[in-house]
Amino acid sequence: MKMAFTHFETTLFLALFASAVLGVVTKKTDRERLMYGLTSFGYFLATVFGLGWLMYLGHR
Amino acid sequence: MSEKPEIQYPPLPPLSKWLPVLVVAWLFPGGGHFYLKRTYRGLILSGCILVSFAIGLMMRGYMFQPAGGDLLTTVIYYGGFLANLATGLPFFMTKWFGYESADVAGHIVDYGTKFLVAAGLFNILAMVDAWEIAVGRKD
Repeated sequence: MKMAFTHFETTLFLALFASAVLGVVTKKTDRERLMYGLTSFGYFLATVFGLGWLMYLGHR
Repeated sequence: MSEKPEIQYPPLPPLSKWLPVLVVAWLFPGGGHFYLKRTYRGLILSGCILVSFAIGLMMRGYMFQPAGGDLLTTVIYYGGFLANLATGLPFFMTKWFGYESADVAGHIVDYGTKFLVAAGLFNILAMVDAWEIAVGRKD
């Protein structure tokens, strides 16, 4: 079985797993873990879109 | 400039109390948390690590072999190998059953390699977390 994701899907999955793991291991309460996980996932996404646009505009 | 308050940790318990946790956490991703009865956290960690590893394998990611040479090659290959090794049993099973792929050029394979390394790094974080719980530095 072979799997092939696009660049965007790959980044999305990696961001999701990294955020979940970081949330679980760094915070003390469940609420803090959830908020940290969501925040870091948001930052990952913002970075992906930001750098994506930067590269797009830089190559025009 | 204000000084940071010094954190007082409890004394380290005997080896027999935390070493089994560390070994279980290494061999089975998330296992240290299951061992310590932190089931939900163990499930999340286990799921993230094993799915990352499975995606890496299915994208035909390369498993690093220790190799020397110039500084960058040494850091990448030894570092990659240690990160792969940190995945524990899934790493050994992949080797035993011959599921590892050759190092070929291509972005999909390259992403797969990153997923395999990331799974190992996630497991190191999970091991540290389990150890901290076992020695009483964390709940």
